[in-house]
Amino acid sequence: MGISSSASDRNQFAATRAKAGSTVLAPVILSERSITGFALIRIFVGYLWFQQLFWKMPPDFAGLYKYIILESRHAIIPGYGALLQHTFLAGCTSLSTPSGCTLFVPLAAGVWTAELLVCLSLMFGIFTRFGAILGTILAAQLYVGLGYVDWYWTYGMLVLLCLGLTAIPAGRRMGIDAWLAPRLQAAANDNRVARLLSWFV
Amino acid sequence: MNNIRRGLLAGLAAGLVLATLNFVTDGTPGRTLPDALRWFGITIADPIVSRFAGFFLLIILGGVFGLIFGALQRERSVTSNRALLSGLLLGFIWWLVFSLLLTNIMKHAPSPFSLSFGEFLATFPIDLLFGVVLGSIYFQLQARSINLSE
Repeated sequence: MGISSSASDRNQFAATRAKAGSTVLAPVILSERSITGFALIRIFVGYLWFQQLFWKMPPDFAGLYKYIILESRHAIIPGYGALLQHTFLAGCTSLSTPSGCTLFVPLAAGVWTAELLVCLSLMFGIFTRFGAILGTILAAQLYVGLGYVDWYWTYGMLVLLCLGLTAIPAGRRMGIDAWLAPRLQAAANDNRVARLLSWFV
Repeated sequence: MNNIRRGLLAGLAAGLVLATLNFVTDGTPGRTLPDALRWFGITIADPIVSRFAGFFLLIILGGVFGLIFGALQRERSVTSNRALLSGLLLGFIWWLVFSLLLTNIMKHAPSPFSLSFGEFLATFPIDLLFGVVLGSIYFQLQARSINLSE
């Protein structure tokens, strides 16, 4: 997949496609309008994650506790509830507050930080694909834990939205990736770290 | 003059993104939009009119910042580096003027620089995002006009 902005690119592509006939699949080139549309979708998906930071704010992350309890009871995968019981909910004595919990705060801080990274990555278009992969993992976890609690497709759609953004270089318009991508790609031949990082823009 | 026109268009588009982000808030849609009116001491009793007025005010303010952005670039062609950095700088100024100083002054806060972590997190990234979008759209418009002229 590529991003093409000029009419000459499109003409050249059409000529190549005509020559190839019907024996090969034509490469897909996104127009400026399409990639700008995807950039807007990226910003709004990032904002979706951003808004969810505020009901589970540090230092106690108390808003998250209720949902961990729900996940431990209604997970769609057997054993996932027990895993939560022995990690997030280890030592907890109450169903309404995280009193007595030994690991809840550090693990909840990890969840909150991961969500912060997802929203910053998607909103600013910085290492967008990394943010989208992390968002997919977090959304899949919500799907496993809360799929039976809310409307079944709520978290399924969130997984698909983030998965879609891993496939498209949506940060290269209206994002920092527009600046990062050519620099990382130029350095990728000589530098292994740059090559690795260039996968995520 | 091209830089001013480009800046205005980029600013209006970035203002529209910012206003739409403020519209899709949790709870009642657009509940934070009247905040923009309060920066200038304007209060409208009707909540629907107040939200729409806030929505359009954000777009207009975006346009004003876009004009400033365009004027700063003068008639030269800018690099993506410069466009993003200038955008981030203007986003920071937006946050400083509107989300920090004017909000605190209008709320009669003890200091114009009063800020909690929650307030900082709710405003700072969004205002910087406005700047990034402004700089990026300006750069895209410039690239498009260069492509068209070639």
